[in-house]
Amino acid sequence: MNVARDNILGRVRAALKVEAHRPVAPTDAPVFPPIADPETRFRAEFAALRGEIIENAQALRAFVGGFARIATDGAELTSQFVGEPNASVRDCDLGVTGCDCLVAQTGSIIVSTLSAGGRAMSVLPPVHLVMARREQIVADLASAFTLLRTRYDKHWPSAISVITGPSRTADIEKILVMGAHGPKRLALCFAD
Amino acid sequence: MRVALFIPCFIDQLFPNVGIAMATVLRRLNVDVYYPPEQTCCGQPAFNTGYWDEARALAKRHAEIFADADAIVSPSGSCTAMVRNYHPELLGKATRATAHTYEFAEFLVKHLRVTDVGARFPERVTYHDSCHALRELRLKDEPRQLLRHVQDLELVEMDRAETCCGFGGTFSVKFPMISYAMDEVKVSSIQNTSARYVVSTDSSCLMQIDGYLRRQNLPIKTISLAEVLAST
Amino acid sequence: MTNSALQQFERDAALKAADRQHRAVIQKNIGTYNIAVANGRKRFADWPGSDQGWQNARSHAAAIKWETINHLDRYLEQFEQNVLANGGHVFWAETAADARDHVLELARRHGVQKIVKSKSMTTEEIHLNDALEAAGIHAVETDLGEYICQIRGEPPYHIVTPVMHLTKADIARTFQEKLGVPLTDSAEDLTMIARAKLRQEFITADMGITGANFAIADTGMIAVTENEGNARLSFSLPRVHVAIVGIEKLIPRLEDLALLWPLLAASGTGQTITAYNSLIGGPRREREADGPQEFHVILLDNGRTRLLADVEQRDALHCIRCGACLNTCPVYTNIGGHAYGTTYQGPIGSVITPHLRDAQEWSHLSYASSLCGACTDVCPVRIDLHHHLLHNRRNAVQRGFDGLIQRLLFRAWFWTMQSPARYAVAAKLGNFALRRGLAGALLKPWTTGREFPAPPQQSFRDYWREHERRP
Repeated sequence: MNVARDNILGRVRAALKVEAHRPVAPTDAPVFPPIADPETRFRAEFAALRGEIIENAQALRAFVGGFARIATDGAELTSQFVGEPNASVRDCDLGVTGCDCLVAQTGSIIVSTLSAGGRAMSVLPPVHLVMARREQIVADLASAFTLLRTRYDKHWPSAISVITGPSRTADIEKILVMGAHGPKRLALCFAD
Repeated sequence: MRVALFIPCFIDQLFPNVGIAMATVLRRLNVDVYYPPEQTCCGQPAFNTGYWDEARALAKRHAEIFADADAIVSPSGSCTAMVRNYHPELLGKATRATAHTYEFAEFLVKHLRVTDVGARFPERVTYHDSCHALRELRLKDEPRQLLRHVQDLELVEMDRAETCCGFGGTFSVKFPMISYAMDEVKVSSIQNTSARYVVSTDSSCLMQIDGYLRRQNLPIKTISLAEVLAST
Repeated sequence: MTNSALQQFERDAALKAADRQHRAVIQKNIGTYNIAVANGRKRFADWPGSDQGWQNARSHAAAIKWETINHLDRYLEQFEQNVLANGGHVFWAETAADARDHVLELARRHGVQKIVKSKSMTTEEIHLNDALEAAGIHAVETDLGEYICQIRGEPPYHIVTPVMHLTKADIARTFQEKLGVPLTDSAEDLTMIARAKLRQEFITADMGITGANFAIADTGMIAVTENEGNARLSFSLPRVHVAIVGIEKLIPRLEDLALLWPLLAASGTGQTITAYNSLIGGPRREREADGPQEFHVILLDNGRTRLLADVEQRDALHCIRCGACLNTCPVYTNIGGHAYGTTYQGPIGSVITPHLRDAQEWSHLSYASSLCGACTDVCPVRIDLHHHLLHNRRNAVQRGFDGLIQRLLFRAWFWTMQSPARYAVAAKLGNFALRRGLAGALLKPWTTGREFPAPPQQSFRDYWREHERRP
């Protein structure tokens, strides 16, 4: 017996006995322009957000070599290309994870507790490196949701984040500053 | 076609030249105009303050006075919007007046299909979009088209042309300090154009802007679109 | 309509409207915002001379929210069912007090001494921080702007940009004073100072409290939109996560976010999409490396069902809290946020506050508008904002909030306007009074800052009668 629940739903139902005036219906015209070449679009968006793309194995070695304390999500791609962690997520300079997919429309990287080793690994480290494959690029957010539903329906991870660039704030005089609380740098390496 | 003149109460009492100018231009274009003298007010002040019963009674009266008009033309975006957009809601139906009332610039450009009325006004002028004309009647280009065809007139756009001047009817006296701040911002935009005149379809806006200009002794004048179009 | 809230508003609005420096800061911020939004709008399927993509996006969003709000009981039940199925808890709070008490109860139950909070207007609305402080629990605001407000002891200034009214120098002085750090000229340095301070708070907090931008019925998830990452840290590190969610935040499907996330970002900040858009569906699952042991959603009514019952204004519940109406409002940009004296400010605040709080006390905000309609034009979910201000004014009069003097004035005015003969007499008297300078006292609200027009020699009707031979 939940009195508050009954009261609230009761008031809602009483209010909704009368339907409100419907707004003007949308048309079938596309809301967003179509995306001809997802990879090109993704790269452009990601770069505009100050995301860093690491182009090859040599560049990856050089990048990772610049960090002393590395934490990883322990996934296959990560172990294969970056190796084993030598620090915890709370004490690292670099956090390395995989991802669910990449979204060309917005230049986003979608991670979940299952694809990126939990919640903290992709937000707590000062620098975040994502290991991905080109085949993980989807055109837009709508396609991304289709992918996530197919992959996770009925057994969703407890948290999913759509990451679009490094952490940022413009709270102070609208001046853009990176690394407010989340990672200051976001890097991506295509393993294929 | 005979055109009935809908002269809002404040134009009748404070800015009669605006109404006279409009009639002059229409006649110059061979439009037969007449003025139903029983008209008083479209009810907007009552409506905007929340006195809808009173506004409804005035809307009913207005509809009866203009029931036989072919077309009704007014030198006021706000009063035209009141009749077209809000009288139907108040009366619960459309009437001759609600369907055939037009703001002056709108009537010239969209109905008479005229943009050159043979006017001459050799001044640097900037245009202020009245909120009612812009957002309730969707008039943006029409007044500008008319101004561009006025001989020797130089039209410059101000920044924030679409920002409200701060009149808002009783708002200007209920919250005068806010109204004044908005007026200040508007005049600042006007000053940045170096124009000698600011023009609008709405004399209420011009009254607000002019009030500030005169108090600050600034060398800028206000003039209605009708008066510019009547100039030769 | 005299009451203390109105008097306070008149005082504060007058002060802020006269403060040129304050207005300049706001207007500079708005200028930057306007440029960003113009760019953000290019993301929609518009083409030169037409903004059809944007307009269509608004219509889609309006339709999604209409569907949800007009079937809200169904979606609330579906949401609850799914949250419970995923191991979360749902608490229904009828009032602000109920919500506060439940948070305190959860804190007590879990031995909570420190809380980290991410930006949530809902928690402001229920005055949660005061209640936590009174109970001896330290609640830290972690959003940079909100953190600055907290250490200054001020409420947030704006729905999206809490310290829009402060300069870099103001903030540097605050940090020097309250945190003991040296003065700095750099926004970057100030941000890094806050980052370092707050990192410790995230790591040692017992509970994280967030709001939710959306609550998704078909998956039982909440969606949290941010740029900084403080919300993610708040729901990732502490052992309990509590989300306080207004019942109007519901949307039917996960897929609706493909439209709503970009729409919110475009209107709120001009971005394509914000840096972090997260979905939380429950506490840490078995195979997961980390996360809270418990996830609690508090569904908040607090007057929303009253607004729901007002069929004419029900669409005000469609609001996605983007802040666009505030940014476009010429009243807001001249008086700022604090002057409103309410949690929700600007046009949307003026519309909903008489419904969420006492109507008699807050109807004056609906009059503090020139009805320019810019808000209605920019609202991404097509709320009929400025018409609702008119509706609130009508309601105020119908309920007798208008005061005797104003009512008598309008009665007299109405009686005059109903007859051309009475109108003519009144006009003559008015003209006479103006010419003789007798109307000074009456005109004072106008003439304090502006000249009143000189009365003409002849009215239009007298001119016409004199110069026109035929009617």
